[in-house]
Amino acid sequence: MNNILIQVVGVVILLILGFGFGRLAEKRHFKRIIKREAASQHLPVVATRYPPVDQPYSQILVTGNVVIASDYFKGFLAGLINIFGGRVTPFESMLERARRESVLRMKDEAMKLNAAYVFNIKFDTTRIATGRLAAMEVLAYGTALVPIQQGIKDTQQPVLVNATV
Amino acid sequence: MEYQNNLPPEGINTSSVHPLKQFFQMAVAAIVLVVILVVLLQFSGALLAKRIPFTFERAVIEQMKPPFGDSEAHPEMTAYLNELAQRLMLNMPMPEGMDVTVHYDSEKTFNAFATVGGNLLFYKGLLNRMQDENTLAMVMAHEISHVLHRDPIASMGGGVASTVALLGLTGNAGTGTAGNVLKSAGMLTNVQFTRSMELAADKQALAALYGTYGHVAGATELFEIFASWRDEPSGLIPKWYERFSSTHPLDQDRIDQTRLIADSHQWPNSGEKTPLPAEFGRWLLKK
Repeated sequence: MNNILIQVVGVVILLILGFGFGRLAEKRHFKRIIKREAASQHLPVVATRYPPVDQPYSQILVTGNVVIASDYFKGFLAGLINIFGGRVTPFESMLERARRESVLRMKDEAMKLNAAYVFNIKFDTTRIATGRLAAMEVLAYGTALVPIQQGIKDTQQPVLVNATV
Repeated sequence: MEYQNNLPPEGINTSSVHPLKQFFQMAVAAIVLVVILVVLLQFSGALLAKRIPFTFERAVIEQMKPPFGDSEAHPEMTAYLNELAQRLMLNMPMPEGMDVTVHYDSEKTFNAFATVGGNLLFYKGLLNRMQDENTLAMVMAHEISHVLHRDPIASMGGGVASTVALLGLTGNAGTGTAGNVLKSAGMLTNVQFTRSMELAADKQALAALYGTYGHVAGATELFEIFASWRDEPSGLIPKWYERFSSTHPLDQDRIDQTRLIADSHQWPNSGEKTPLPAEFGRWLLKK
């Protein structure tokens, strides 16, 4: 029966570590996300499939993906919530971080291309099984529209947007 | 057309409840749930199992012929143990049709136990340390008391019921480690039951000892042997936890209880002890 005590003590230590580090990481991450979102706000990311027709753009697929793991505390709490039901709040904030981070990474790529917009943004998510702890991949992808005058090099074939779409 | 993004609003997907608060609420609720579940199922499972007639229980186990020890190779020892059991049962309120079969096992394990079907198993490791028949009789009477109280079948019934329920609750794919911890909580609840069985068996055994020998010498000595074998205390584990988590009561608690019962019935604590058979040592050495 003493192994139960050892097990419980082990779990408590892991919970404390998971809570401490997980919360610290999450706070820092949110701070960074908010800062970068403000910095990249000039680049509109739009979900519509119909791009502007005011001028020719080259279309380039841009992606941003993130793999984010939960911590021991989140996993444990989620396990308890699974018994009673309700919002799995520890994973809600985790997924929000992943989604926003993936958009930011996608935007980074688009900004490098001097894109004016990113159109038709979509999300994809996959659960990555790492033992019992949850890790999620979130992929954001869209079509970056780069105005042709701004000089996409000749090697990259500019594609005219079909104005009749 | 103008395209623009607003900054996303904060706080939609993040809960305003502090995670620790949520954690403690959930943990307390889960533990309470497990304890209630186990208590309820142990109780009802045991109650139902005890309604199985002993004769039926014995017949079923005999049909299954589970291997108990190596009695065939040690006929003298087995005969002596069974004869001692029969003698003790004369002074116990055995109901009609209830009987026990004692088996011997030459393993060095320091243990003896009663199991379903009225089967008792005594290990050489335990018999080796017996100084006299009275001490051995205390163990024997204790194990017979378990059979008398239907403890083996009750703990089997209660155990099966609560294990199945816990599995349903914690085997849920999502619960993960939390499920494991809850399982421990269930086990800790379970052992609270076995301990009360042990104390009741001690009480019954003491009465049998007095009925057979006219005194209860050997009873406290038995627990002292247990204590020296266990080499307690282990220091690292606090006493209250050891008491709370053990299947058996602490040896010192059992010694105290034994003295208390003996005093309240005015059963003498000392008296002439019956020696073990002269051949006992030789039987133990036999391979």
